[in-house]
Amino acid sequence: MIKQETLRTFLAVLLVIIAVIYAVNAGYFGKEILAEILLFAILAMSLDFLAGFGGMVSLGHAALYGTGAYFYAVLTVNYGWNAPSAMAAAIFFCGIAGWIVGAATARVRGIFFIMATLAFGQMAYVYVFENRALGGDDGMSGIPRLDLSLVGIDLVDPTNFDIFLIVVAAFVFIFLMWLLKSGFGRTLVGLHRNEMRMRALGLSLLLHKAAAFAIAGGIAGLAGTLAAQHAMFVSPDYLDWKLSGLVLIIVILGGLGSLIGPVLGAAVVIILKHQISAYTEHWAFFIGVFLIIAVLAGGHGLYDLLVKLNKRARRKATKPEEVVDA
Amino acid sequence: MLEAQNLMKSFGALHVTNNVSVSIKQGERRAIIGPNGAGKTTFFNLLTGELPLDEGRVLLGGQDITKLKPDGRARRGLGRSFQKNNLFDGLTVQESLTLAAVTALGKSGIFWRDPANDDEVVQRVKTTAQQIKLEQVLNTVTDNLSYGQRRQLEVGIALASRPKVLLLDEPTSGMSPEDTGGMLELLKNLTGEVTMLIIEHDMDLVYNLADQVSVLNYGQIIFEGTPEETRASEEVRRIYIGEWGEDDA
Ligand SMILES: Nc1ncnc2c1ncn2[C@@H]1O[C@H](COP(=O)(O)OP(=O)(O)OP(=O)(O)O)[C@@H](O)[C@H]1O
Ligand SMILES: [Mg+2]
Repeated sequence: MIKQETLRTFLAVLLVIIAVIYAVNAGYFGKEILAEILLFAILAMSLDFLAGFGGMVSLGHAALYGTGAYFYAVLTVNYGWNAPSAMAAAIFFCGIAGWIVGAATARVRGIFFIMATLAFGQMAYVYVFENRALGGDDGMSGIPRLDLSLVGIDLVDPTNFDIFLIVVAAFVFIFLMWLLKSGFGRTLVGLHRNEMRMRALGLSLLLHKAAAFAIAGGIAGLAGTLAAQHAMFVSPDYLDWKLSGLVLIIVILGGLGSLIGPVLGAAVVIILKHQISAYTEHWAFFIGVFLIIAVLAGGHGLYDLLVKLNKRARRKATKPEEVVDA
Repeated sequence: MLEAQNLMKSFGALHVTNNVSVSIKQGERRAIIGPNGAGKTTFFNLLTGELPLDEGRVLLGGQDITKLKPDGRARRGLGRSFQKNNLFDGLTVQESLTLAAVTALGKSGIFWRDPANDDEVVQRVKTTAQQIKLEQVLNTVTDNLSYGQRRQLEVGIALASRPKVLLLDEPTSGMSPEDTGGMLELLKNLTGEVTMLIIEHDMDLVYNLADQVSVLNYGQIIFEGTPEETRASEEVRRIYIGEWGEDDA
């Protein structure tokens, strides 16, 4: 089911090495951009699991991300919870929220599914935006970071925080790869490929889709708690549908259903965003143009491009041997 | 084992299934025959729940399953293959059979183990591949199989779930005579436990395989009997003018 296994692993390892080197050597601004890329990478992997493998193209993913961020903020700031418990609770809550959305939309398909997830996302956005207890459109600040001083790591230091995010992103990648190879993951992909047949074999559409959504929701929530810690601030922008759209663009540009592609996509889009916004604030327009070009070029994303290049390189490498054989 | 009681289904003014009742004993092999458009596939879709019934009941092992969705009925032991190949494009034979085995064994909720390391699943895939004679092409992607092989896989995916009642919708349609012979052998080799309903146009296969035959025409069962009785029936012969007879007589 998962093709090009080695290329994927190779790419993952390479990206981790580059990220670590960059985290150590970049200037302050560079470190901040790396953190942003990593947060988007985690969120994008979660959406790719849902959309690329599970066939559920959600346009409400930022709502789960923002919910995680706010849940963490409220528990730590208003209720004085410690960071690990607040993170665990936020992830759990987002998992449940994901389960509910997944169960509610299990039989909805295509454009209606996109609209339904958008509606769920907007509901959450409006709720947070209008809620004075959550700071309304001002958001909330003074959010603490995880305290790792017990093991001698100070997460307030940007390099350390970047490394921490790299570890979490790598863990999420490994977790999802492993999940996709399990009975659950394989039947999820089967359901995406041929829903009618999987149902005729006895697979429950509702339970399976809801479970997949719960997992994606939990990971999106995790990304949210990390984003809140990174900025030490949350605002309704975290739940904005434009953010959902950006993540979807990252996934599609990176390569739907490849898991590592969206990580690459996150790096490209975020770097591009910062480059372009130095000249104009309409960076989103140019990323849109970039996406259109990529899709019209017949691309299935950056990862697919790498797969093709890899194949071509291998073919070239084996040709001389064939001549010798002949 | 499987009982259909007064099934009714219309598409607009068209009564595609008109008061169909059928009762199949455990271990029985029942052939459903009838001309094109008689409503055979529709009858199957009503049994599996893929189409909602207008009226009537379906019982499996004495239990009413009318209200269950297709997946619920499958979990109770109702398996089916499709008239038009309904496979997993892009997956290999092994991966396709694994999906069926994992689901049927109730392991689709397991997220901590690769089914490739699960003996029960691996064994099921292996025996099924042998049954459908595709053990040589386990790693071939479905799209690259010959038509006959795809047809075998179509039946194999249903078999891999080891249903109590197996519904086969024209398993030999479009097959060469040799492949048809292979399919007959395959189906005959299935142990007597499985109860089988088979829609089939190939009368030789019906004659060789079935214990009982039900004849559908315009949505109604117009005849029921042994293959010999069916062949001897004037009424059935009239429907099937020219389709069989001469070379068997
Ligand atoms: N979803 C549908 N909507 C409207 N009409 C349908 C639908 N499905 C089947 N029919 C009609 O019902 C009749 C019976 O179709 P069905 O597929 O059950 O026949 P069949 O006996 O399986 O025929 P064949 O031997 O060609 O497979 C046909 O006239 C067909 O056009
Ligand atoms: Mg038919």
